[in-house]
Amino acid sequence: MTERNLTYEDLVQIVELVRTTSQFSEFRLKVGDVEVSLKRANGAVRPAPIPQETPVREEAPAACREKRQVSFSENLHLVRSPMVGMFYRAPAPGQPPFVEVGQSVEPDSILCIIEVMKLMNSIEAGVRGTVRHIAVENAAAVEAGEVLLAIEPLS
Amino acid sequence: MRKARKQKRFDFVDVTLRDAHQCLWGTRMTTAMMTPILSEIDRAGYSVINILGGAVFDVCVRYLHENPWDRIKLLCERLSTPCDALTRGQSLYTFELFPDDVVALNAQLLARLGVKVFTVYDALNDNRNLESSVKAGREAGMKINGWMTYTLSPVHTDAYYVERTKELLALGSDYLCIKDPTGLLTPERGATLFPAVVRASGGVPVQLHSHCQSALAPKVYEEAIKSGFAAGYTASEPLANGASLPATEEINAIARKLGFQTSLNEDSLREISGYFRWLCLREEKPCGKVAQYDPALYEHQIPGGMISNLHYQLETMKLGHRLPEILEEIARVRKDLGYPIVVSPFAQYMVTQATLNVVQGERYKTIPDEIRKYARGYYGKVAAPMSPEFLDRLNLKSSELVTERPGEHIEPWLPRLRRERGPGASDGDLLLAAFYDKALLEPLKGPKSEYRFRTSPLHELVAWMGQRRDIEHARIRFAGTEMSFSA
Repeated sequence: MTERNLTYEDLVQIVELVRTTSQFSEFRLKVGDVEVSLKRANGAVRPAPIPQETPVREEAPAACREKRQVSFSENLHLVRSPMVGMFYRAPAPGQPPFVEVGQSVEPDSILCIIEVMKLMNSIEAGVRGTVRHIAVENAAAVEAGEVLLAIEPLS
Repeated sequence: MRKARKQKRFDFVDVTLRDAHQCLWGTRMTTAMMTPILSEIDRAGYSVINILGGAVFDVCVRYLHENPWDRIKLLCERLSTPCDALTRGQSLYTFELFPDDVVALNAQLLARLGVKVFTVYDALNDNRNLESSVKAGREAGMKINGWMTYTLSPVHTDAYYVERTKELLALGSDYLCIKDPTGLLTPERGATLFPAVVRASGGVPVQLHSHCQSALAPKVYEEAIKSGFAAGYTASEPLANGASLPATEEINAIARKLGFQTSLNEDSLREISGYFRWLCLREEKPCGKVAQYDPALYEHQIPGGMISNLHYQLETMKLGHRLPEILEEIARVRKDLGYPIVVSPFAQYMVTQATLNVVQGERYKTIPDEIRKYARGYYGKVAAPMSPEFLDRLNLKSSELVTERPGEHIEPWLPRLRRERGPGASDGDLLLAAFYDKALLEPLKGPKSEYRFRTSPLHELVAWMGQRRDIEHARIRFAGTEMSFSA
């Protein structure tokens, strides 16, 4: 089998033509020695997308994106995310969380990490008190201003 | 005695399988897309083929779910041209610093997989961060290619780069390279910088690796060729230009016009560019387009691989409309931080800090931990003094400052990894475990892929038609051959 007449340039042209004529049920092309004819199933159809790798989206799965609506009693100090990012409860995977519910914290205690574009931002408690709620699942996406933890201040 | 007048030579290092798709396709070229054209690339006359860099390694694992060691081994086996692997010194493929034992094992494994040229650079040009890589790479039998990263700032003068050249030579580099990740070099700057570096190189070959964002790269390469550079990094034409490197075809023509001999085979180059042009269409990925000259580039300096990522990430945060403000703030942040080079990972750090400064409406209200570490000297020496406003917000204690070689303050990891992974773990597995979480490595355990090592336009046409679900019947005829197929 010889194919000295079919080049990548021809291939690119043929495929571009086939793609731009998907509204027609038949396609015939003859250029020089090359002849291509096609019949489309069910007459003219929308072109099927070429199977390819699933496009990668660097974002959290849908489940993590659902709005979390939690109400907190008024005496609690709410620690909010300063930015959009990913919420992590531990300094590194496999390590124990920074804090658990019921734990006492100081104003400079680190409660969690918010990751933005691969950068880790430590979030501090800001008050002395006891952790009452952890409002977000580990490794979930959070919005700016979203409540991460609630602390009952030491009065 | 008759003196043979030896024609001057200029050599080429191919980046089509690495930096080209890193810049234009978000590093998403799979091994299966490479294998059919490898033998042609091998015949093209490149002196070296760059197959690995930080982003390639990382994207293989995270998004393509390919074992990067398998890719490296396969490419090295298939290519008789020497293969080059690039690491970010002590950071290897990621942004964090690794202990010396991990750095050494990585170099040993690369050499065993067939890598011949080991390229190292440090994102701060702190060459202490290359010491352990260079030592291990040389012991493993690889040639050492020491890069220095070009940037624009009041402190990054020609004299600064002559100092870096001397350091890289003192480390024992077999090749030197000026890497210009954002295409900031101009022919005018090249005219002073290039001869200065060549003079300081003591005969060690100097190479140029520059990108095309400013559209000036071909002229910059011309200046490098005239200044006595030994080689340039280039990409096959469809994957050249734009944020990528210049086209092999174009630089080859420039070198030949200047009277230099090159070993490139133009028939092979044509076949390779035809294949990649087709691949862009088949995979619905962009080809490189010659960029417009953009003076703003010299302010924000965002490197090739980052422009598309930054835009995408800002969009996902619904901040796309604040991009111009953020780009301006990046320039200010950079000055405050003592002019770090706008390259991974410091590019990301500055982009993030600038984004936080803009979005929070108050500068340095939040300072990411990595930026704090940078300011402490944890990653290496800072090029210029940091601004009082930034230092004030940082409030560093003197006990936090790091002055020794960054690798010194990291304990060995391999004993722990060996314990965790058991005696059966291969070096590749140990290293992957050092770089990534277990969960990220799970998808790499799938069955090994089958690769095609040759293809042709006809083969590609038939395969493409076969995947179109809307085609019921097709007939292809040419040059006395006819084939037809029906669904």
